[in-house]
Amino acid sequence: MNINDCYNFEDFRKLAKKKLPAPIFHYIDGGADDEVTLNRNTDAFNDCDLVPNILNSVGEPDLSTTVFGRKISMPLFLSPTAMQSLYDPEGDKASARAAEKFDTIYSMSTMASFSIEEVANISSGPKLFQLYIHKDKSITDDLIERCSRANFDGMCITVDTLVAGNRERDHRTGFTTPPKFTFDSLLSFAMRPGWVFKYFTNKKFELANIKNKTDKGTNIAKSVMDYINEQYDPAMNWKDAEYCIKKWNKPMALKGVMSVEDAKKAIDIGCTAIMISNHGGRQLDGSRSPFDQVKAISDAVGDKLEIILDGGVRRGTHVLKALAAGATACSFGKAFLFSLGAGGQKGVERLLENMQKEIRRNMVLMGCKSIKDLDASKIIYRN
Amino acid sequence: MNLKDCHNFSDFRKLAKKKLPSPIFHYIDGAADDEITYARNTSAFDDVDLVPNVLRGVEDVDLSTTIFGKKLDLPFYLSPTALQRLFHYDGERAVGKAAKKYNTMFGVSALATVSVEEISSLVDTPKMFQFYFHKDRGLNDSCLERAKAAKFDVMALTVDTITGGNRERDLRTGFTSPPKLTLSSLFSFATKPMWGINYLTKGKFELPHLQDFVKEGTSTNSSIGNYFSTMLDQSMNWKDAEQLCSKWGGHFALKGVMSVEDAKRAVDIGCTGIMVSNHGGRQLDGSRSPFDQLAEIVDAVGDKLDVICEGGIHRGTHMLKALSLGAKACSGGRLYLYALAAAGQAGVERALEKYKSELVRDMKLMGCTKISDLNRSNLRFRR
Ligand SMILES: Cc1cc2nc3c(=O)[nH]c(=O)nc-3n(C[C@H](O)[C@H](O)[C@H](O)COP(=O)(O)O)c2cc1C
Ligand SMILES: Cc1cc2nc3c(=O)[nH]c(=O)nc-3n(C[C@H](O)[C@H](O)[C@H](O)COP(=O)(O)O)c2cc1C
Repeated sequence: MNINDCYNFEDFRKLAKKKLPAPIFHYIDGGADDEVTLNRNTDAFNDCDLVPNILNSVGEPDLSTTVFGRKISMPLFLSPTAMQSLYDPEGDKASARAAEKFDTIYSMSTMASFSIEEVANISSGPKLFQLYIHKDKSITDDLIERCSRANFDGMCITVDTLVAGNRERDHRTGFTTPPKFTFDSLLSFAMRPGWVFKYFTNKKFELANIKNKTDKGTNIAKSVMDYINEQYDPAMNWKDAEYCIKKWNKPMALKGVMSVEDAKKAIDIGCTAIMISNHGGRQLDGSRSPFDQVKAISDAVGDKLEIILDGGVRRGTHVLKALAAGATACSFGKAFLFSLGAGGQKGVERLLENMQKEIRRNMVLMGCKSIKDLDASKIIYRN
Repeated sequence: MNLKDCHNFSDFRKLAKKKLPSPIFHYIDGAADDEITYARNTSAFDDVDLVPNVLRGVEDVDLSTTIFGKKLDLPFYLSPTALQRLFHYDGERAVGKAAKKYNTMFGVSALATVSVEEISSLVDTPKMFQFYFHKDRGLNDSCLERAKAAKFDVMALTVDTITGGNRERDLRTGFTSPPKLTLSSLFSFATKPMWGINYLTKGKFELPHLQDFVKEGTSTNSSIGNYFSTMLDQSMNWKDAEQLCSKWGGHFALKGVMSVEDAKRAVDIGCTGIMVSNHGGRQLDGSRSPFDQLAEIVDAVGDKLDVICEGGIHRGTHMLKALSLGAKACSGGRLYLYALAAAGQAGVERALEKYKSELVRDMKLMGCTKISDLNRSNLRFRR
C-alpha cells in the first residue's frame, strides 16, 4: 500500500498506522476514556440525510467561502495540532505548504514543532494561530505579538483544555515527547526503522514556539499531558479571553465552544468566530458532538459570527451537512495528520485534493451552485 | 452452490460473486463513498412494522398494478441498468425475456449492450427506456427517436448522475468497460475462466445506443464515472426536461427525484411518473433513502402521477411496506442483477418467481387480496 492507494480517511489511517511507531499512531488516533465522543463525532453525521435537488444547471459549483477575513477555496481547513514533526520531519511546514497550494487555512498549534516565524517565512497562504493561555502571562503576550508581526490572519483560543483529557491509549503506550523508549514501545519503533531514521537525522525535536520560555517539552522526556497540566492556566476566564482579543485586534475565535450560552458570550467579548469542538473527542468523553450541536448554535448566533464545525469530519458529504445545518466552514485534525504521517506534504495534498473533489462532486449531485445554496431545506434529521 | 440453492437476495448475490470476476462483481455490488446510503436504503424498511389483519378470506391474491397506463402482473419491475452483457453474455436478452414471462416492465438503460430494436423484437410486454442527457444533442435525438420507433412505452430521464459518484471499490479494482486487465484484476479474471470464455466468444461487447457517436465504451477503456463526468450535460435543467418530455409525447418519468419540491415540479412539466431513488446509493452518499422519503412525496403528488419506490428492495415485505405507504409500484436493480450474473435468464426467472411467491404469501399473511388493499393502517413506525 502506498499513498496513491489512499482514497479515503480509512486508507490514510491504515497507511499511517503502518508507518508510525505505535505510541505515535495511538496519540493521533485515540480519544478520552471510552472514546464514545470520539466515535459519535463522525457517527452523528449519519443520523441526518441529504435531500438533493435536480435539474438545476449546476455546472461548475463555487466552493469558496470567507472565514477569519480570508477568502478560502473550499469550506474546509486544517485544525491546529501539536508536534507535527513527529509524523513527518517537515511537520508544520509540510502541512502549511499543502494548505497554501489548495488555498485554504493552515492552523498552527502553540505546541507546533516549527516556530511562527519559520512557517510565516515559507507560506503566504491563510494562517490561523491556536493560542493556549499560559499561567505565565508573558508567554501568552509574546505569542500574540509574534503572530501580529508574522502577519497571521486569525487566532483561536482553545478553551477545552484546562486540564488534560484521560487518553488511556497514551498511558498504555507510554507516549511522551520526545518519545520515551519503554520496553513495549521499543519493539514498535524498531519495526519502523524509516521513522526512527528520519526522526534522528532531522532537526532536533522541540516545541519551537515556547522553547525560549520554558525548558519543558524539550530537554526532559515529558508527556504532553504533564505539559498541559503544568503550563496552562486552569483559572482562565472570560476576562482573560477578552484581554487576548483586544490585544490581537484581528479576527479571533474561541475553539471548543459547545453551548448556546457560551456562543452568545463569545459575541459579547468581541469574537468574530467560534469553533464548535470537543477537541476531537480527546478531552471530555461523553460530551456532545459538534454536528449534533451545530444547528442550535447556528440558529442562535449564526448571523453574528462565523461558525466552524471542528471534529469528526471525514467526507465531503460531512462538510455539506455541516454547512446545511448552519456552519460557515469545517476543520479537521486526525484526517490530515494521518495523511501527513502516510505521505508527508504529498499525503496532505492528496487528502485535500480528494476532499475538494468530494465536496465539488457532492455539491453537483445536490444541485447546489455555491455553498450559499446549502441551507436547512437540504437536510432531514432521521429522528 | 448452484441456482437451485438460491432462495433469496443474498443467495443470488453469493452465487454471482462466485461467477463474476471481482471488478465486475464489485461494480454491481458497490456504492458511493462509505456506502451508508446504500445500506440505509434497505435498513430503512426495518424501522417500520407490518400490522396484519386476520380472517379475511385470502385464497386468491391479485398482485397486478397499473403504472404508466400499463397493467403489470407484478407490483414491481426491473430498473434500467447498464452493461448487462458484462454480467452475463445474454445480458438484456435474458432479462427482457424473463420480464416478458412475468409480464412486468423491463427497464433498458441508455448504456444497454443490446439495441432497443433487438429488444423490441424479443419483448412485446411493457418496456421503459432510460435516457441520459448528453452534451451531444445529436446523440440525444438519436436515442429518443430509436426508442420511439422501437415502441417503448415509457421514457425515464435519469437526473441523479450529473457527475459520477465516488465508487471506491471501482477505483481499487480498476473497473472499466470493456474490462481493463490490470495485474491485480487479471488474477480474478483468470480464476473465473467461464466468464472470460463467454465474454470473448459470445459476440462483441458494444454499447449500441452510443457507438455511432463516441469512441467511449467501445474501443477506448472508459470508466462509467468518466462517462458521467465527461459526456453528460451538467447544465441540464427543468426546461431541458420539459422539452424532452413533450418531444417524447408519451409516458415520461424523472428517475432520481428526492425532494417534495422537485416532485411537484415534475407534475408541472408534464411527467406521468417519478422514481424516488438515489441510484441504489451509487451517487450521493449520505442522501436520504427512498423509503424514508416516500410518504412525504406521495402526500404531495401521489394523486397526480405514479410514484415509484426504487432501491434497497430485497424482500416481498419491503415492497408491501412501500406499497402501503402509497407507492404505485417498486423497482430495483440488484434484485435481478445478481440473478442474471448467477444464471442468465433462468436466474432472473427464478428471482422473479421467488419475489412473486413471497409477495403472494405475505399478502395472505397480511390479510390482503389485492394491491389496493394495502394502506398506511397496515404500518406502524417504530419511532
Ligand atoms: C494529534 C492531535 C493533536 C492536537 N493538538 C492540538 C493542539 O495543540 N491544540 C488544539 O487546540 N487542538 C489540538 N488538537 C485538536 C484539533 O485541533 C481538533 O480539534 C480535532 O482534531 C478535531 O477532531 P478530528 O480529529 O475528528 O477532526 C489536536 C488533535 C490531534 C488529533
Ligand atoms: C450495476 C448497476 C448499473 C446501473 N446502471 C444504471 C443506468 O445505466 N442508468 C440508470 O438510470 N440507473 C442505473 N442503475 C441504477 C438502477 O436503475 C437503480 O436505481 C438501482 O439499482 C436501485 O437500487 P437497488 O440496486 O438497490 O435496487 C444501475 C444500478 C446498478 C446496480
